[in-house]
Amino acid sequence: MTSASFNGAQMAVLRSRLDGVVRAMSNTLLRTGRSGVLNRARDFSCCILTQGGDLVTAADSLPIHVLSGPDLMVKSVMDFHPDQRPGDAFLHNSPYHGCSHPADLSVIAPVFDGSGRHRFTLLAKAHQADIGNSQPTTYMGEATDVYNEGALIFPAVQVQRGWQDIDDIIRMCKVRIRVPQQWHGDYLSTVGAVRVGERNLTALAEDIGWDRLEDFAAQWFDYSEARMAEAIAALPAGKVSGSSTHDPFPGLPAEGVRITSHITVDPDQGRVTVDLADNPDCMPCGMNLSEACARTAAMIGVFNSIDYQVPKNAGSFRRIDVLLREGCIAGIPVHPFSCSAATTNIADRVANSVQTALAGLQDGIGMAEVGAVIAPSAGVVSGIDPRSGKAFVNQVFLGMSGGAASPGADAWWTVGHVGNAGLCCIDGVEHAEIIQPIIIHRRAFVPDSEGAGRTNGAPSTVIEFGPVGGAIDIGYLSDGHVNAPVGVRGGGAGGGADQHIIHLDGSSERLAACAQVHVEDGERILAVSCGGGGYGSPFERAPETVLRDMAEGLISAERARTVYGVAARPDGSLDSETTRQLREPAA
Amino acid sequence: MRFATDTGGTFTDLVVEDDDGTITLHKAPTTPSDPVAGVLDALRVAADARGLTLAGMLARGDSFIHGTTHAINAIIQGRTARTALIVTTGHRDMLLFREGGRTEPFNHAHAYPQPYVPRALTFEVPERIMAGGHVVTALDEAATAQVLDAIARADVEAIAVALLWSTVNPVHENRIGEMIAARFPDMPYSLSHSVNPTLREFRRASSAAIDASLKPLMGAYLGSLEARLADAGFAGRVMVLTSAGGMVDAREVAAQPISAINSGPSMAPVAGRHYARREGGFDSAIIADTGGTTYDISIIADGRVAMTRDLWIGEPYRGHLAGYPSVEVKSVGAGGGSIARVDASGLLHVGPQSAGAMPGPVCYQRGGTLPTVTDACVVLGYLDPDFFLGGKMKLDALGARRAIEAHIAAPLGVSLEEAAWSIVDLATEAMVQAIQDLVVNQGIDPARAVLIGGGGAAGLNSTFIARRLGCPRLLIPETGAAMSAAGAMMSDITAEFAATVYSNTARFDSDAVSASVAGLAARAEDFIARSGRPGGTQFIAEARYEGQAWEIDVPLPKADFSSPGAIAEFRARFEAEHLRLFTIVDPASEIELIGLRARVQCSARDGESDFKLMMEQTDASPRGSRSVYFAGAGRVETPVWRLDALAPDRMFDGPALIESDFTTIVVDPAARFWRSAPGAILIEERPL
Repeated sequence: MTSASFNGAQMAVLRSRLDGVVRAMSNTLLRTGRSGVLNRARDFSCCILTQGGDLVTAADSLPIHVLSGPDLMVKSVMDFHPDQRPGDAFLHNSPYHGCSHPADLSVIAPVFDGSGRHRFTLLAKAHQADIGNSQPTTYMGEATDVYNEGALIFPAVQVQRGWQDIDDIIRMCKVRIRVPQQWHGDYLSTVGAVRVGERNLTALAEDIGWDRLEDFAAQWFDYSEARMAEAIAALPAGKVSGSSTHDPFPGLPAEGVRITSHITVDPDQGRVTVDLADNPDCMPCGMNLSEACARTAAMIGVFNSIDYQVPKNAGSFRRIDVLLREGCIAGIPVHPFSCSAATTNIADRVANSVQTALAGLQDGIGMAEVGAVIAPSAGVVSGIDPRSGKAFVNQVFLGMSGGAASPGADAWWTVGHVGNAGLCCIDGVEHAEIIQPIIIHRRAFVPDSEGAGRTNGAPSTVIEFGPVGGAIDIGYLSDGHVNAPVGVRGGGAGGGADQHIIHLDGSSERLAACAQVHVEDGERILAVSCGGGGYGSPFERAPETVLRDMAEGLISAERARTVYGVAARPDGSLDSETTRQLREPAA
Repeated sequence: MRFATDTGGTFTDLVVEDDDGTITLHKAPTTPSDPVAGVLDALRVAADARGLTLAGMLARGDSFIHGTTHAINAIIQGRTARTALIVTTGHRDMLLFREGGRTEPFNHAHAYPQPYVPRALTFEVPERIMAGGHVVTALDEAATAQVLDAIARADVEAIAVALLWSTVNPVHENRIGEMIAARFPDMPYSLSHSVNPTLREFRRASSAAIDASLKPLMGAYLGSLEARLADAGFAGRVMVLTSAGGMVDAREVAAQPISAINSGPSMAPVAGRHYARREGGFDSAIIADTGGTTYDISIIADGRVAMTRDLWIGEPYRGHLAGYPSVEVKSVGAGGGSIARVDASGLLHVGPQSAGAMPGPVCYQRGGTLPTVTDACVVLGYLDPDFFLGGKMKLDALGARRAIEAHIAAPLGVSLEEAAWSIVDLATEAMVQAIQDLVVNQGIDPARAVLIGGGGAAGLNSTFIARRLGCPRLLIPETGAAMSAAGAMMSDITAEFAATVYSNTARFDSDAVSASVAGLAARAEDFIARSGRPGGTQFIAEARYEGQAWEIDVPLPKADFSSPGAIAEFRARFEAEHLRLFTIVDPASEIELIGLRARVQCSARDGESDFKLMMEQTDASPRGSRSVYFAGAGRVETPVWRLDALAPDRMFDGPALIESDFTTIVVDPAARFWRSAPGAILIEERPL
């Protein structure tokens, strides 16, 4: 513990100024990024860490990107490069050395003071449209190992010296990554973000002093730890276990993978322990978690269940112990097992197992299950654009929902998945049609697919789309068909995922859950994404809200009656007497 | 004689321009239930000051310029018309999907927002047009007729139509418009390609829905305004301010009311631009207009009022995205009423909770018990408890001290003054962060910009804000108390026409783009003719590097896409703007043109004006001095000047307080100040 040298007012100001540095980095990436996954889906994160790799702030970054991961990556940079100099920068995307998954190519740069002392470290992480995999997708669930996956992997590889690119690395990327010009544009944005951060942080230090800034970080950690301890003290003591099951996929067992977390909440000590060791070993597929994602997913489940105002940094993280096992699918992966899809599928199951388990502690705590991904409506499309004759590859975000009910409010529908938390944007229909040679025939929410509860989970989305003027390929890994998102404390499940291809003759064929599909001109993909689970009994839901959803065509009269115990008169108003009878507990 | 009014939540501001070109400021309380009453009251105040009857004064007026929050308030309060929306089959949930995005990833207390038009009132019609404009599915008129039957049964008051790719080919939207007009002759309706011709169907649908829903209400409001002004003796033109920082005839706003949703706030930067030029020839400026509960920031970049296409009604992501271009005005929930607190772990917070006007700060003695920024200003000595608002209101200094002592100083373990300063400092920080986000997005360098403070509270901490931003100068205009109304008086008659036209420098379709330019030019000329005033047109290209998601505005001095070298010129213009905004260019990438806009500007008055404010001279002696706390200096006996009594062009060193009936300006010991000949206060750092 450090002695307090800043009062609460000075801390508040410095916190705001450091968040401002991160926002300036994020703005740079958002506004100059070239691929859709960056600038439309906002699938990137920026953060400030201490010299030693403790996370100071990541402002409004994607949760799965930053809670843990940046810390591990910075430590690996220090191990491999003990002699860092001003103007250095390192490429990092190795899931075996702290990165989330290979598609999240990160640029890490040390920040030095005027006397050449390494003071802080900046990191910008951006999901790439392509990372050189053997298939044109950045989530290769069926990859049998890292060789089969084929991603270019950079375990803390120096990419800049004296603020100049080391062109050897850039050339390597340009010959191995699809649509190299787009990749290079995204790389420039990512480096630009880090350099904007370096400039702004240095200016702040000139104002405050480097020593003071370091003192602030130490004290900020103590403050955040205290806030975390208070938040945990508000929970009931107990040991709970939760589980969440991933659907069968290529390389996974026929019954799927059941992820289990054992959680101990100790309010007196202000600590939470999440034990993930009781899970299967790594498997010959791209679904293994990186250490970063295993840790982070467990932490997301915890942070989703407590006071949201607790700052997320190395200080509050001291109060969460995540127990991982080496060689475990939800633990520390062993090379050459592939972690191609580590940020989504199994990671989502981990976070869901934690937040649903915590809901079991007491009413008012935890959350229902967020829907699984990645449906074809958020898949990676590629091909040759007949309008220009050029190759294209990009993740599309045509539709997704997945939001889970919390104790206090209906879901935020468009959260994407639990690790993204809704920060991702959704492509406009016109925009998607102008960028890729596709047409979106239908985009809707599916009635009667919400997770019913006292508070509701999101309904599913349905998207019908296909190529225009030529064929396209689409890669996806759609979990949640067999295991739809469950509700908690009496809440119902949200809609499950599904996908079909509609052929030119109108016949329809169900598609595999995880596949790379070739779609001919005129054919259509019909993609249904998961909804989200409900919280509490639907019989406790306010009848007016049920009637509103009924009037909106989101739920049928039949569902209102049978699931919610709410009856409407022919004019849509509440039939109080029948509702009372329907909701009477069975004798 | 011309009149400009801005109806705010508390006061209706009036600026009168007399025939000699000088202006005067007047205020009257706003009557929320009847905004026109406040306008007439303010006009009566001005007539009295001139020794005229209201009718006598109004009879001399050529134009009446009106800024109104009537439209946006109606949306926020849910008083708009019951509106139906017609969309392309398969896309009924267009308004429900929005564009994704969310803030506060771990805050699960906010349910997903309801769509602007309920799903139950959204109807699909079979039709489909492709990106290139060709029809793949013709409009099914029989099905459309059935939809209109359903709409008839739904008892709506307005209809919006938003079909995919209607900006490229409006044939189906136009046909549905004809069918609506035939079926419901008196029903107001809005077609998306006409309201907001932009790529991105959600924004267009949102704009069309908002526009249609405002038509009944705004038509009635503006009709009543015109009638009551006529009854009172006014025979000139009634103009309404738009979100784009200009004015148009009231009938144009009635026909497209969404154009006025940011009507009042969009005027502060228009005034700011005038003062930035006058007081030092600044090309870039940061304008902060302060109210009791809000802090509105806008930007002048390269001599132009900065615009946005991300205008939210309500909170970002949780409210409604209007989708309609507007002057960029960023509101920060930080004002005099923001509440300060120390959390259980010892961190100070200021806002977002606000005491507002009721119960208000502790010192207002209206029941507030939690310390606010205003209370801190009383403790620090910035505000004179006996001369607040020119002495109209007494402040409870003891109450403010007690609240800050108990709630802030004690838990932080600091002195009363340090606690009060910390509150002001943290509120200042929130404003600085918001300004920094905006200057980055709009590509201006604060070190070359003037900070302009308007509204009653700007003077309290703008010296500190300017220093944190590195602005070389702070400017408090003489009309600061009514900056929006002053901006209204300075604004031009403007309109903007847009067209979606897609082309790529790799295969530029000069003919199609030139045809689009010609179409816009014709509409611009038509508007100029309608306005009856001399005017000109400026073209703006919306363009981006291939693959980027967001286009930028590129001003085109001559919109010529056909002559040799035109594409190279377009690229050069684009790259200059990209460099200014993002500090990078990428010469290896192609450039995509997404759309074109024509901005028409007609001068609203004959000849130039310097808008000289007529002020009453009061006695010229300082009002004595007060003990004021400054960080790093402690309590300092500080001279208090009466703003209108300061001799012009004479430099004074800080510390000082400059007071008027509307505001107090705090100049700390590190700064110096002077009053310019036209009456503005200018503050800069004292040379070391």
